[in-house]
Amino acid sequence: MAKTASATGKQIQIKIFPQRLLQPRTAEKLLNEIDQVKGVVRMLIGGKNLPRKVTCGPGTGADVNHPNMEIIHVGDCAFELHVMVGEIIVELDNESGKEELRNACERTLPFSFEFKQGHFIKKKATLTDYGKYGFKSKTDESINLEDERILGLIDPHAKPENNLCVINPEGEK
Amino acid sequence: MAYKPQYYPGNTSVAKNRRKHMSNDVEKMRDISDEDLTAILGHRAPGSDYPSTHPPLAEIGEPECSVREVVTPTPGAAAGDRIRYSQFSDSMYNAPSVPYWRSYHAAINFRGVDPGTLSGRQVNEMRERDMEEYTKRQAETEMTDWGLAGLRGCTVHGHSLRLQEDGVMFDMLDRRRLEGGVMVMDKDQVGVPIDRKVNLGKPMSESEAAKRTTFYRVDNVAFRSDKEVVEHVQKVWELRTKYGFVPQA
Repeated sequence: MAKTASATGKQIQIKIFPQRLLQPRTAEKLLNEIDQVKGVVRMLIGGKNLPRKVTCGPGTGADVNHPNMEIIHVGDCAFELHVMVGEIIVELDNESGKEELRNACERTLPFSFEFKQGHFIKKKATLTDYGKYGFKSKTDESINLEDERILGLIDPHAKPENNLCVINPEGEK
Repeated sequence: MAYKPQYYPGNTSVAKNRRKHMSNDVEKMRDISDEDLTAILGHRAPGSDYPSTHPPLAEIGEPECSVREVVTPTPGAAAGDRIRYSQFSDSMYNAPSVPYWRSYHAAINFRGVDPGTLSGRQVNEMRERDMEEYTKRQAETEMTDWGLAGLRGCTVHGHSLRLQEDGVMFDMLDRRRLEGGVMVMDKDQVGVPIDRKVNLGKPMSESEAAKRTTFYRVDNVAFRSDKEVVEHVQKVWELRTKYGFVPQA
């Protein structure tokens, strides 16, 4: 059985770590700039959690209404930020897009940032993923996923619809 | 000549600021009204009476005790106030106060304090009206920059995080924020909305915070650049270690 998509290959991963925590507008601008870079396969946004309600102490249950919990638009996708963006991990098809990505960050970020290459998102299924998705069939022991690129993007117990955004699914990246 | 204690060694700006905090020789930078302070503390409604946990000491009649005769009760203890707390978080990005120095300030300059010091926050328990007086002192003076510190009874996360783009320490519960160039707080210290917006004044600029901070940082004043402090700390550790081996001493 042929695989439809996979995260394995010669992709490289870059972690962008700005000096400051980003406001939603800056994060939106940066993500759109990164989206324009040729060869971006996937992006993972990380940062400080913005809860909907107070979860501990005498104020438990009170609404937080954090002003940074905004809806932002990236490519043709809109989603609500649940974090104050502190880091972005980008996976590129190959080394050639690296400088373009660095330039995109320099254009957008008004302060310095770290730009590290490494292995930050998993590239192949682990036991937890097999536990969640299972095998394709009795004869095919590959993971039962049409698009393996979602591996490592969300927690095993999280719902994809609230945490995953597919940008330009038809377009060639 | 009257004795003047020197609380901390060193000649750098950080050491001098540390001495200032300990001796309560701090500059007042803003006014926060009593009602506003009560609102952001969130222990009682602003303007209401102090609830009490026992009758005033004058009414209950204390037993004969030489210590009680020598020690005058604090106003809160005399009135029978409840024990209440206030807690500050301080950013490691040059906030004016290190949690330890909030504790020193409380323990040296106030009575009836129970300070708890943690890496990024400091909690202090006192009789309610005494606690308000103490909190007001810390909140109105250079000990607190409301951009780099926060009154946080819970969810204190922020001390070791990068600052936000606007230079303010991250607050998960959005208790206070920068609005029109001033810090504004519209929730109490545990994140419950209050009926007012308390103006906490302008945050310090980066250069001013670097000047007033009590944090040693390699990108500002490095701890190792202050020889006298290093010597003092080493001496304290040496004596503590030696003492540990000689318990009868």
